[in-house]
Amino acid sequence: MAKLERALRALPVEWPATPDVAARLELQRRGHRRLVAAVVVAIATGTAFAVPDSRGAILRFFHLGGVTVEHVDTLPPAEARPLTAGLGSPIDDTRAQAVLGAPFLPSDHGQLFDRYGFVSTLLAIPEPALLTELGSPSLIKKFASGNVEFVSIAPGVTGLWIEGHHVVFFSGASPRLAGNVLVWVSGGVTFRLEAPALAKARAFQLAREILGTG
Amino acid sequence: MHQEIAYRVAYLITGEEAEDAVQDAALKVWRALVRFVPGRPFRPWFLRIVANEARNRRRSSGRRAALALRAAGGLVSGDAAPSPEAAVLAADEAERLRAALESLPDDARLALACRYLLELSEAETAAVLGVRRGTVKSRVSRALERLREEHG
Repeated sequence: MAKLERALRALPVEWPATPDVAARLELQRRGHRRLVAAVVVAIATGTAFAVPDSRGAILRFFHLGGVTVEHVDTLPPAEARPLTAGLGSPIDDTRAQAVLGAPFLPSDHGQLFDRYGFVSTLLAIPEPALLTELGSPSLIKKFASGNVEFVSIAPGVTGLWIEGHHVVFFSGASPRLAGNVLVWVSGGVTFRLEAPALAKARAFQLAREILGTG
Repeated sequence: MHQEIAYRVAYLITGEEAEDAVQDAALKVWRALVRFVPGRPFRPWFLRIVANEARNRRRSSGRRAALALRAAGGLVSGDAAPSPEAAVLAADEAERLRAALESLPDDARLALACRYLLELSEAETAAVLGVRRGTVKSRVSRALERLREEHG
């Protein structure tokens, strides 16, 4: 490398302190603008969009609330991790309401966790299931190769049923292999219920119980 | 991570309005998310939007911020601490180089700053400059020539 180039690289520039733009955006998200937390995550950590190509043709898009599903013929690589992995920091109900813009449902729940605006808890039904709620749009991206369909969970409540293994890109974490999932939206909050062997009828029943319509 | 590099890119272009430029860029990223192709590197895409926002603001304000140097440090490298005389010489040399860099036209200064101060890749530099990747080398090469002339 030439001397001048080395000198440029070594130039001791005093950069101004970087303002916390991600935090400023997050504050706006909690106001009216509902900025996508995924962007905040991407800017702050550089990981949210570090997703591999699906390596397969995209057959169809599904979008509901904060979840986008791309139906592909071949799933991208992902690892199987426990439902409890990477849930984030424990939070209380007050903090959860501030994050979601609405109370976490059901009101009778276990420990809540927050990771970049995703509030989660584990349900025992009796097998473990992960319930995640988010208050912003376009936060979770999934690739699915199995059955994906829009469903009606209760009057006025549309859901998205994803059956079989699919790959989820969740709150800036590396891709994870997920089991059966039911997604629905109510009161501006997107709900996502996941369990490895979750039956469709059981998922519907739980969703209605969570919403208080069951 | 992206936050710091995005802010510095915006600062190079538009100075004090960098924070607003990055925030507006993040809003644009949100609106453009549906067009984001999974598997495509996020950082060049984001930096292109940041640079465009910063350029828009620069056109309005007409200002760019001058780079400052840290008081200590400089061009002396090695394990041993430099002597006071060497430190003074290094600081003088660094200041001369900074002044020469500042004297360059916007495009040349930005190209060199991206490649050598921020150590961006060619793809990222191309995104910031708004040029094709193949153009980056020639633009940086010309900018270095110009800097040599200015720096002596």
